[in-house]
Amino acid sequence: MNWQKKLLQALVVAVGYLPFTGSASAADESSWMEWVEVDGWVEGARSVRNRSPHDALVSRVWGRLKLSSEVDDVYAHLSVDAQKNWRVEDETGIDLHEIWAEYTAEGWDVRVGRQVIIWGKADGVQITDIVSPPDYTEFITRDLEEIRLPVDAVMFRLLGDEVDVELIWIPVFRAAVQPSADNPWALEQDIPDDVRVMVSPVDEPETSLENSEIALKVSAFWSGLDVAVSVFHTWDDNPVMYRTITGSDEGEVEIHFSPEHRRMTVFGLEFSRPLSDFVFRGEAAYYLGRFFEPRSITGNPLEKNALQWLGGVDWTPGNDWSVITQLTGTAVMNHESEMAAEKHAMSATLHVSKKLMRQTLTLSNMLYYDIGEQDFFDQIKAEYAVRDDLHLFTGVDVFGGGGNSFGRYRDNSQIWVKAKYSF
Amino acid sequence: MVKKTLFALMCSALLFPSDRNIVFAETVGVTGYDVMVMEDERPDGDDRTSVLKMTLVNKRGSKRIREVSSYSKDYGKDKKSVMVFDRPADVKGTAFLSWEYDDPSREDDKWLYMPAMKKVRRISGASKNEYFMGSDFTYDDMGDRHVDEDTHTLQGEEAVGEQMCWKIESIPVDPGDMYTRKVLWVSKEENMILKAEYYDKDGLLKVYRVVDFGKEGGFWTVRHSEMENIVRNHKTVMEFSAMRYDTGLGDKLFRVSSIQRGRIH
Repeated sequence: MNWQKKLLQALVVAVGYLPFTGSASAADESSWMEWVEVDGWVEGARSVRNRSPHDALVSRVWGRLKLSSEVDDVYAHLSVDAQKNWRVEDETGIDLHEIWAEYTAEGWDVRVGRQVIIWGKADGVQITDIVSPPDYTEFITRDLEEIRLPVDAVMFRLLGDEVDVELIWIPVFRAAVQPSADNPWALEQDIPDDVRVMVSPVDEPETSLENSEIALKVSAFWSGLDVAVSVFHTWDDNPVMYRTITGSDEGEVEIHFSPEHRRMTVFGLEFSRPLSDFVFRGEAAYYLGRFFEPRSITGNPLEKNALQWLGGVDWTPGNDWSVITQLTGTAVMNHESEMAAEKHAMSATLHVSKKLMRQTLTLSNMLYYDIGEQDFFDQIKAEYAVRDDLHLFTGVDVFGGGGNSFGRYRDNSQIWVKAKYSF
Repeated sequence: MVKKTLFALMCSALLFPSDRNIVFAETVGVTGYDVMVMEDERPDGDDRTSVLKMTLVNKRGSKRIREVSSYSKDYGKDKKSVMVFDRPADVKGTAFLSWEYDDPSREDDKWLYMPAMKKVRRISGASKNEYFMGSDFTYDDMGDRHVDEDTHTLQGEEAVGEQMCWKIESIPVDPGDMYTRKVLWVSKEENMILKAEYYDKDGLLKVYRVVDFGKEGGFWTVRHSEMENIVRNHKTVMEFSAMRYDTGLGDKLFRVSSIQRGRIH
C-alpha cells in the first residue's frame, strides 16, 4: 500500500536521523552507522512432501533486516522482510515487518507504531495470545514467532515494582492470513455436486475511532507467582461466513458466502508458578460473542460465548532436557447440535527437547494431539549450530488421523531442511 | 568451586580491606568451614555491573564467543540480577532476570526473555547442573551455593602462583550432586578462589583457574579465568571488563518489564 511505503521511507529516515537529535557534538564525531544497530537473519528452507507427488511444500529464501537506534529515552526499531517464495508466489516481495518508536520514562513507557504484541504463557498454543493476528500461510509448521503478524498500535504501560498495567489501542484492523489460491495448505471444502458457491469480498472494518480495538492487561510478578488479567475488545481475526441460500431453476442450490469480521470481547486470565524443577502454567480466555461454523454447509454461523483454557507443566530435570506438556480445551456455552464444533473439544501437546554436544545440537519433538478427533501433528526437529551465526535444521512434519483438524493435512506430511544465518 | 554468582564472578573477588582477614588467617585452629565462610561473605559493593566475554574453545581449537552485560544489586542478604546477551547474533537481546534469596528454603525467582518469542517466561529455579550457554560452567558453578551445602575440610596450605592459599576439600551434602568432591585453593590474602578441581564418580572432571585478578573500584576482582574440561578436552575462557561497583543502580532495572524490552534502559 502506498501509505505503508511512505511510512517506511519516513521511518528509515527517522531511524537514521534519530541519533543526530540527541547530541550534536557526539553526532559530529561519529557516523550514523555507529548509532544505528544493524542485525538480522537470512534463511533458506525447502521441503519434500512424504506422499506422491513428492513435490516441495516449502521452497523459499527469507531475510529480515533490523535497524535500531537509542538516544536518551527514545528507542526506534525498524525491521524489513524480503522473501523469494517459489511455492507460494504471493509471499514473494519486500514487506515492512515492524516499525515503532518507544519512549521510556520513570514509571511508564509508550511504544507507537507497527509492532508484534505477544501475550500468554503457553507453548505453541494461542489462548490469550490474540492481539497480533496469526499468519497461517504454512499452517502451524512455521516457528511460532513467525506466525504472529504485527499490528499498528499504541502500547502504553504503567510500570510498578511488581505490577504492570498495559493499555493497547489498535486503530487499524488487521485480519488473520489464511492460505489461499495455489498454496498447498489451502484445502478445498467438500461441496455437493448440486451446490454452487459464490463468495463476496471480505467485509473488513474500516479504520475509524469507533472501530478501534482496545485492550487492558494488568500483570503481577510476585515471588513464586505471575498472574495477569486482561480484557480485549476486538474483532474476530477470521471472518464470519454468513450464507444466503437460493434455489435455481435447474434444481441446484446456490450458496452465497458474505464473509464479515465481527466484534467480540475477550476476558483473559493467565498464571505461572514455579515449583522445584517444574513450572505450572495456565491460561483462560472467555469469549463474549464468538461465531461458530454450522455443521451443514447450508446453515448459518451461530453466535455463542465460549471458554478456551489451557493447563501446562514445564519440567527441566537437568542435563539439558526439557519437557513441556499441556492440555487445552474449548467449551461452547449453550451449545447447539447443528454446530460443527463440539460442546467441549480438548487437545494436548507434548514438547520434548534435549541439547547435546555442548548445546550445539538440539533434538526436539513437538506433538499436538486432538483428543476428540484423534488427529495429530508431530514435528521432529534437529538443529545444529555449525557456527554461532550459522544453524542448520532438518525435520519431519507428520500429520495423521482421520478427523477434520490435523488429519485433513495428512497429504502435507513433509521432510524439510533449513539453513539460517544470523548477523 | 566458584561460589559467587555469575554477576559476582564478573565483579567480585574482593579482599576484606580490614585486618579482619589477617586475624582470621592467623587464628590458630581455623577450619575449612571458616575459610569458606570468609570467602562467601567477601563484600563486593551494594551493586555491580560488568561485561563478560565468554570464549568456548573445543578440542580442535575452534572458538565460539558469547558476550553478556550484567547488573546486580543487593537487597539485604538477597540479590537481584539481570543479564542481557549482546553476542552471538542469534541470541542477542536474550535476557535473564533473577531474584536470589539468602534463605535456602526459599526458591529463587527467575525469568527469561527471548526476543524471537517476544515474551517473558517464568523458568524453574532448579536445574543447577545444566551448563550455562554451552560453556564449561554449570549454573551451580556460577551460583550462590550455600556454604552449608558442602562439608569443608582444611587440607593444608599450598601456593597457587605467588599466592599462598588454603587448600580445602568440599564434599556435597547431597549424594545426588553432579560432583562427588571439589578441591579449592582459597588465597589467604584475598579470600578468593584461585583454583578449583571438580571431581565426579569417574575422577577429575574440570579445573578452574584464575588467570588475572586485581583491584577494580577498590575491590579485588577476577579479570580473567578459565574452566577446562579435562575429560572432554575443551575449555571456557571468561574475560571481564567495564567492571563498576556502587554506581547506584535503580530498582526498576530488576523488574520483569525491563527485560521485556530486550535491552537494559
